[in-house]
Amino acid sequence: MKCVIEGSNVKVFGKAIHALSRISDEMWLDPLEKGSVLPLFRCSASIERSVDSCKISTGLSDTQVTFQLFCKHGITKTYNLGFQEHDVLQAVFPAHLCPNVLKAQPSLLGDMVIHFPASQEEVTLSVCPKRVTMRNYCEERDQIKVMSTEMSLHPEEFDYFHVGVDSDITFCLKELRGLLSFAESHGLPVYVHFGHPGQPVRFSVENMVLEASVVLATQTDSESEVSVQPGGSEDPAAPSVCLSVERSQSWSPCMPPSVCTGGGVESRPQDAPPTAPPEEQVPSSQGSPVLSRPGNLEYFGLHVATDSGAHAAEPESADPATFRLHSLLFGAVSSPWPNEGDVLHTSLACASDTEEDNMEERSSATPMPIY
Amino acid sequence: MRFRAKILDVGCLNSFTRVVNTISKLTKTCTLRLTADNLYFMLSDKVANGGVSMWCELDQGNFFDEFQMEGVASDANEIYLELVPENLSRALRTAQNAKSLKAKLTKKHCPCLTLAAELPSLSSVSRVVTHDIPVDVIPRKLWHDFREPTVPDFDVSIYLPPLKTMKNVIDRMKNLSNFLVLEANRSGQMNLKIETDLVSVSTHFRDLGNPPCGDGGSQGASQDLETMAQARVDIKKLQQFLSSQQVNPSKAMCSKLIYPSIHLLPI
Repeated sequence: MKCVIEGSNVKVFGKAIHALSRISDEMWLDPLEKGSVLPLFRCSASIERSVDSCKISTGLSDTQVTFQLFCKHGITKTYNLGFQEHDVLQAVFPAHLCPNVLKAQPSLLGDMVIHFPASQEEVTLSVCPKRVTMRNYCEERDQIKVMSTEMSLHPEEFDYFHVGVDSDITFCLKELRGLLSFAESHGLPVYVHFGHPGQPVRFSVENMVLEASVVLATQTDSESEVSVQPGGSEDPAAPSVCLSVERSQSWSPCMPPSVCTGGGVESRPQDAPPTAPPEEQVPSSQGSPVLSRPGNLEYFGLHVATDSGAHAAEPESADPATFRLHSLLFGAVSSPWPNEGDVLHTSLACASDTEEDNMEERSSATPMPIY
Repeated sequence: MRFRAKILDVGCLNSFTRVVNTISKLTKTCTLRLTADNLYFMLSDKVANGGVSMWCELDQGNFFDEFQMEGVASDANEIYLELVPENLSRALRTAQNAKSLKAKLTKKHCPCLTLAAELPSLSSVSRVVTHDIPVDVIPRKLWHDFREPTVPDFDVSIYLPPLKTMKNVIDRMKNLSNFLVLEANRSGQMNLKIETDLVSVSTHFRDLGNPPCGDGGSQGASQDLETMAQARVDIKKLQQFLSSQQVNPSKAMCSKLIYPSIHLLPI
């Protein structure tokens, strides 16, 4: 694998890493990678000034990926990071089935979350046709001496507001903050797709050269006993946030604990049901079969997925004792006319010559579905 | 027992916030006392053991456009609440551009001081942020613990040098010693001294000025201008006090020395 990121896109990539770092300690870079990438891109401002391009490659060693930052004055910084192969995990999220859709400028959402302290883990977003409210969420047992904060505003303030069903969803705030700061730095509006409590919520941004989305689990209705466990018993090494739900509760079928691609990944267990037709799925660029799709899209997917350890083994669909799914997808769109001399949009990532064969097939892929 | 108040002026809101920020840096919990005319933030700690006690009295008319309270009883028309000033500070922090701020005593899952800020919005309907700050109501039988400290006789009263300068000096001294001796005389001279086995350091300030001897000073003729009055204090506590000062950073402060304690009065 060898990828080259040019010029100012390095800063975008760095900001993406920053956003991802607020979600998880690990990152799944498609092609697959796991490791600590954040320190390389820690200082966005200086990267913009000094770095001309960034090359990411795997060398002869199967366990190391190399990041090379080619900087001004002939300086090259080379970082070798260990990685492990990982199963492909993807979020299957049929946004067109969500009854509630909001679109807001990132500053509006930023104005909502600023009232909550940095340590606030979860918030509840309530929508009805007249009002949108966000309040901090805390467990019953913690409630006694905790300050509670609630912020509400009128639906008019949203660029787009469609509420099919009044709903209160509780999700993790930290991940949202990561996406919001990314959105704010690029001035991109944020789309929010969600439904009933228990169904996941998706926050996404997109523009001509990239698309990013965060899919978060939400708590089911309050009569279930819901507890937040850091880590979770199934996977103590996993990142810190998860929602555990009593086995009697069911998750909405649109978010199964283990997600699938149309053709499947070799190691995926057979029981996990496919839930959405192939055209809804976002295929990984490695490991999954190439789907023949019209159009010209060179796809660089950046996924963050944390393993929900339990799940796939359950024969019945969807009752994990512990469920965590965070997924951040970045899609890069290259020029729609690759045969012309001019490239209208700089690719976020360009493949090296040696991998041209693989890339050719991908370049005839469909555009990302736009919701 | 009821309490409702409203701040409409953004300048008053900023001032009130600065006071609360100062308090929140001094202590984790404190007592808020409400009377018909005043608010008090009080902390009584073991002063004899080098602790800090604090008494802050605010005229409610300087901050609030509306202020109504009904105390626990008609012959005790006051309310004493214990709260965490950091919560109050946090609630006020993001409401600095509010059109109005309402405060009231409510009962949610426990007694709360509820702050509601009306914020400007992009639409015709304002945004509203509500904070419920849990409080403990202090029963009347404990009220006598919170009496205004009397200002005892002092030996020397002096204006302090710019707080920033003093803080810089004390920050560095803190690395060398836990205690500091502060001495001053009536000629406007002040010294800060530390002494350890290895090193002794003293910083001298001149021409600071002394406020006119008014209330309470022991002004015996035997007190000549050059005699230094000394007090030994815990550096960390002094540093904490200096870093908390946000109310009037440009104004001088008055310090009165009475062995073994120092009274620092922002003016």
